[in-house]
Amino acid sequence: MPRIDAHLHVFTKASSEFPRETSDIWPAEREEPVEKLLDQMEKHQIDQAVLVQMAGASIANHRYLLHCLKAYPNRFLGIGLVPEGHPNPADHMAELTDNTGIIGFRFSTFGGPRDIFEKMDVRKFAAYPIWKFAAARDYVLWLYPNAINAHLLPYLIQEFPQVRVVLNHLAVCPGKGKFSWDEFGRPQIQVTGYNLTMHTTYRLARFENVNVHLSGQYAFSKEEFPYKDLAGWHHGLLSGFGAKRLMWATDFPWILEEPGYGKLTTVIEKLMPNLTESELADIMGGNAKRILRFPDL
Amino acid sequence: MILPTPEQKEQWEEEGYLVFEDAIQGEDLNRLQSAFDYWADACKAEWLDRVEAGEAVATFYDLPNPFEKDPIFIDIVDYPSYYGALMDFTDHDLIILAPQVRTVAPWPVSYTGWHPDVSQSNPLHIKVQIYVNDVEPGSGEFGFVPGSHKPDAGPYARPMRQESMPGHKTFPGKAGTAIMFNSCGWHVSMDNHSDGPRKSIILIYEKRTPGRIGPEQFASISAYCQTPERRKLFSLDG
Repeated sequence: MPRIDAHLHVFTKASSEFPRETSDIWPAEREEPVEKLLDQMEKHQIDQAVLVQMAGASIANHRYLLHCLKAYPNRFLGIGLVPEGHPNPADHMAELTDNTGIIGFRFSTFGGPRDIFEKMDVRKFAAYPIWKFAAARDYVLWLYPNAINAHLLPYLIQEFPQVRVVLNHLAVCPGKGKFSWDEFGRPQIQVTGYNLTMHTTYRLARFENVNVHLSGQYAFSKEEFPYKDLAGWHHGLLSGFGAKRLMWATDFPWILEEPGYGKLTTVIEKLMPNLTESELADIMGGNAKRILRFPDL
Repeated sequence: MILPTPEQKEQWEEEGYLVFEDAIQGEDLNRLQSAFDYWADACKAEWLDRVEAGEAVATFYDLPNPFEKDPIFIDIVDYPSYYGALMDFTDHDLIILAPQVRTVAPWPVSYTGWHPDVSQSNPLHIKVQIYVNDVEPGSGEFGFVPGSHKPDAGPYARPMRQESMPGHKTFPGKAGTAIMFNSCGWHVSMDNHSDGPRKSIILIYEKRTPGRIGPEQFASISAYCQTPERRKLFSLDG
């Protein structure tokens, strides 16, 4: 069974060939290229990976991702972005998925009522056309919902049960103002001691098309690797979703310095020591292969 | 004090729950509903801001510090229709741990799955859920597995769907109904597929153990706890 890293990012220096947005964390001259990733994968026996677009949602911003997918068609699948408020998201999505290796798109908002007590008409959600198009084209939706959007998800999932959904990073829904970067250049999300997502995203286990990434531990944990304080979260996800709907990922490149790529390839066995060999193999790649339809190597 | 009948005692022992229909009615129920609605409305905006900030659960909300908001929330803690049973089951050594004045939104999925609250090693832990509005089937009614509170019951597994729990019973009821249950038992809030919220109050009690609740916990409502019984119930004298 292949070992697949189901969520990470690569980018190169900003250039006219590969334009991208910049920030303090990914300035124009920084690069975390696919070759560096392949080197880590090789070293730690990881066969395939999902490359997730970052640093811009325009078509041009996706050029480096498309380049990597074209260069290594058997190694990678891609997840794209859609510009917020795009007048015709279907055109954007279609252009990016025309035999390119991009299999879906990442979102964190759904454009429905902020208040769960309001009447919900899913057809009026801003994200409705995107989900409808995703259903028609069999895209995967890669979701990292903001806390105030989490309650909208089951309405969309019910409406489009055929859409494969992957909840990113332990199904956490980050709160407004709770995001920062730490001294190792890693995203940090401040979360409450009581796991609030038990009452939102964890409850989506009922829907068979919903899957969850076991990743991003470094961003939520108050401890160092292997993030033992999150063992309960992993157990909760295993008990709710089962071992066939969980996917391991590293969130490369943020983890390169601390704890390092190699250590993260062991995080699941350390946090979930009671998994059977077959369950561990599923989480480490078998599920990603089946759910995301990775090509045979 | 209205003590439980032999039949109620037997049901409590064997099944782990009791239902008190019309436990609260008339003027007291009106007071409870008014206070609930007033404060739920007053606290909602702040709750939504906390949801957005990732500090509060998105699928239901509890009034913060309800005992300080209206004395009716205190008065229902030792309400005659079920207080006698609580006292009897705890050998007249009862303490209140916390109230949850809870509004549960309609949502495609219940906010929680089947679970017990405490293990068998915990001192007797009892909850009383009081419906503040009428709770029809499919609108977030309480569910319980009779007998699941017993040490030799189970093992139980959490099913994907609420209605798939083997041997469970659901408890729709009119406003003012109180459902008392042993928290070792497996229970749940069923899905709320209705158009409106489920409004209920969950009072959490336990058989007293030394130091479980300090006198500072409910010191702010001391003025409403003048009798020795109430002071003991609210652990005000240590």
